[in-house]
Amino acid sequence: MAAPLPSFLSRFFYRPDEAGAGALSWLDSSPVEIPRRSQIPDSQLEVLAVQLSDERYAVPVDRVREIVKVPPLTWVPRVQPGLLGVMNLRGEVLPVYDVAPRLGLRDAPVGLEGAAALPRSARVVLVRDEAGAAGILVDAVHGVVRLPAQGLEPAPAGAYERGAIAALGRIDDELYIVLDLGAVLP
Amino acid sequence: MSGKRLADEFVAEAQEIVEALGKDLLFLDERRGDEPDPEVVNGIFRGAHSLKGLSAMFGFPALSTVAHQMEDVLDALRLGKLRFDDRVLDALIESLDVLQALLAEGAGGAVDAGPAHEAAQTQARRLEALLTGQGAAGPDPLEALGLDPQLRAVLTEYEEHRLKENARKGLPLWKVRAVFGLEDFDQKLAALNAALKPLGEVVSTLPSSRPGEEATIAFDLLFAARGARDAVAGAVAPLGAELSALSGPLEPPVALAAPSEGPEPPAPSRPPVPLEVDEPRSETSLRSLTQTVRVDIGRLDALMNAVGELGLVRANLERLAEVARTATAVLPGRWGQELHAETRALARKLEELQAGILDVRMVPLGQVFDKLARLVRRLVRESGKEIHFQIHGGDVELDKLIVEELSDPLMHLLRNAIDHGVEPRAQREKQGKAGLATIRLAARAQGNHVLLEVGDDGAGMDEERIREVALERGLVTRTRLNELSRDEVLKLVFLPGFSTRAEVTELSGRGVGLDVVKTNLARLSGVIDLSSTRGQGTTFVLTLPLTLAILRALVVEVSGKTWAVPLNSVQEIVAVEAKALRTVERREVLQLRGQTVPFVRLARLFGLPEAKLERYHVVVVALAQQRVGLAVDALVGQQDVVTKPLGGRLAHVPGVAGATDLGNRRTVLVLDVASLMEEFLRPRAAAVP
Repeated sequence: MAAPLPSFLSRFFYRPDEAGAGALSWLDSSPVEIPRRSQIPDSQLEVLAVQLSDERYAVPVDRVREIVKVPPLTWVPRVQPGLLGVMNLRGEVLPVYDVAPRLGLRDAPVGLEGAAALPRSARVVLVRDEAGAAGILVDAVHGVVRLPAQGLEPAPAGAYERGAIAALGRIDDELYIVLDLGAVLP
Repeated sequence: MSGKRLADEFVAEAQEIVEALGKDLLFLDERRGDEPDPEVVNGIFRGAHSLKGLSAMFGFPALSTVAHQMEDVLDALRLGKLRFDDRVLDALIESLDVLQALLAEGAGGAVDAGPAHEAAQTQARRLEALLTGQGAAGPDPLEALGLDPQLRAVLTEYEEHRLKENARKGLPLWKVRAVFGLEDFDQKLAALNAALKPLGEVVSTLPSSRPGEEATIAFDLLFAARGARDAVAGAVAPLGAELSALSGPLEPPVALAAPSEGPEPPAPSRPPVPLEVDEPRSETSLRSLTQTVRVDIGRLDALMNAVGELGLVRANLERLAEVARTATAVLPGRWGQELHAETRALARKLEELQAGILDVRMVPLGQVFDKLARLVRRLVRESGKEIHFQIHGGDVELDKLIVEELSDPLMHLLRNAIDHGVEPRAQREKQGKAGLATIRLAARAQGNHVLLEVGDDGAGMDEERIREVALERGLVTRTRLNELSRDEVLKLVFLPGFSTRAEVTELSGRGVGLDVVKTNLARLSGVIDLSSTRGQGTTFVLTLPLTLAILRALVVEVSGKTWAVPLNSVQEIVAVEAKALRTVERREVLQLRGQTVPFVRLARLFGLPEAKLERYHVVVVALAQQRVGLAVDALVGQQDVVTKPLGGRLAHVPGVAGATDLGNRRTVLVLDVASLMEEFLRPRAAAVP
């Protein structure tokens, strides 16, 4: 069992009860609220910290729509290898990607069978960008952290997937790799 | 974001105005040669005026310029400063096409650049040129009336012009004096206007120079009557108005001489802008630029009611669930009955909701027919042929999505009929046919489908010529050709790369043929067929489903994965022995009642492990003229499904139309039969994915 979540994080989580409420749930459900930007000092970057393999990655919070448990996925033929499949979230069909191979964390995508056998802490983080919403498979979600803006540095030189990395941030000893969603999603 | 939304709203509204203008101009176009109805001219003037204001406000200067010039021309028209002739009407109608092109660019985000902008400049100059050198002044017929100069002074320019116009036509002019009480004068005045309208034109309503008693208000209506004095007097008497002559009938010579003064309007001082543009005009699509549907509030109320009743059903179900949750012993039989009743109610209400939502998506075909009529008129004029265009069934309703997608295929078929279908007058008369050719566009509903017909009474298709062309282009072998019946030969025109005319004409298309029409229809799950009789004409029949929103689907299994195949493209399901399969150039085919049909293993196509089977289930899918057999492992059943797109990132996965939920949270993909067949039937070189 994962550690109890901080309350501000819990609203991101998809609750199966909501899906069970049926066709009328839209009448009383309100969209997920993202903390207002104005409350956050400019000197900090608010990110959602996630675990991928043994590294800690981060996604800017204003790009995150929702966090859900890994749902049953439907395989799609003849598409980019990073695509695990599509999920159906309350009537909306969304693609779910495995970005680990792209980041050099795994040789091959986990595949549909692998996705069904992931640890309980695995989640799909729904993000949105210009191309539309998409899900990213992660091994665990840690929570929202604020990275001091002046501590951010570019990706180091070398054979990294530098395009996928927006910045590196640090809090105490922990290294957060901030993803550039536009580059990491196909 | 909000800027984009504002722009969208602007485009939607502007398009509505352009459509209304089109309708009015078409009305005038149909009555070429007649005196234009001043009300209609006025309506167009107001439309152009609103469009000018609107586009200036939203920052579309090119649109605003063209609309402004149109407004000027129309203003001159309604004030009689410009004669209403073919040249003017053509310029106005073509301005609409320019506006349409500008809107299309605007919708695409280009506000101040693009090819349509140059066309707009030319068009604006052309409209402006119409106005220069036009002085339609003749002897003033009002002089002859001996009109009170004081009265003349209060008339607006437009009113004065209308008065002159009517005097010129020799219509008697009346002054209708009416005195109404202050409390209800507005209603009485409206009644008086309504009573007069059928008898002539109310040119002006003025406060009377001779006031009435206290607490009353007196009006003088200047009225040009088409009817006799008695009729007018009879109409106004019940309303307490009195009639007096503003003028007697004028001598006809004055009236009739006016339009013919000067054989032609003086030539414009600047070089005239040529009427015909030489370079091929890029055809703008007739599709709407926005995805908006206007909904009658009554329809929305019905939906809201259905939702409210669903809420009641939910409350009942919750109550039943609560009973079941807290029950300590076996549930009473009544509980089961109640649950059954509620689920039935739920099903019924959902059906109602579904029907209501489909209803909201429905729009009359007339929307696209009107636009087509405008285009046909222009094409007919350009072709120099004499053609009567008939429209039937504009009130038949179809899903908005389908109506939009239909405009281009229909446009193509109509062009085809104008260009290839009907013969010139001389040739028709030689064959003893009516000199005036007819092209028909008709729609009718039939069950869950709508049939559309595009027909002409022209020469019909030349079977021999089609055979020749098909051979020439290598579309069919000679032996095969000899086996084909006339109907089958005709269907060859739907093959890609077929076009009967040696030279590509300005009118019918540049290289795109009927195969494009067929493919577009296939996307809409539509089927096209044609019949043609030598010397009597050609008719294309398009069969379309009423809606694409909800599909009946065949659920199949391939390599352990479930797929939905839209049932409207499934022709039949057959079982085929593995040993009955043959290959043609290494591609598998199967025999279907003497016909050879390509055999496609879905598993192989999608790179899935294949099961080795003795017998295959083959789903034969057909689109337009083509058939393909799809091998599947198992047939699961039929179900109504709502197809959802795969989302922005996966919009164009070949072979996949979308995903759907089969209930119990199982999401399956919906096969895109059209794109699969297109992929499979493409020439070999291009078939490698």
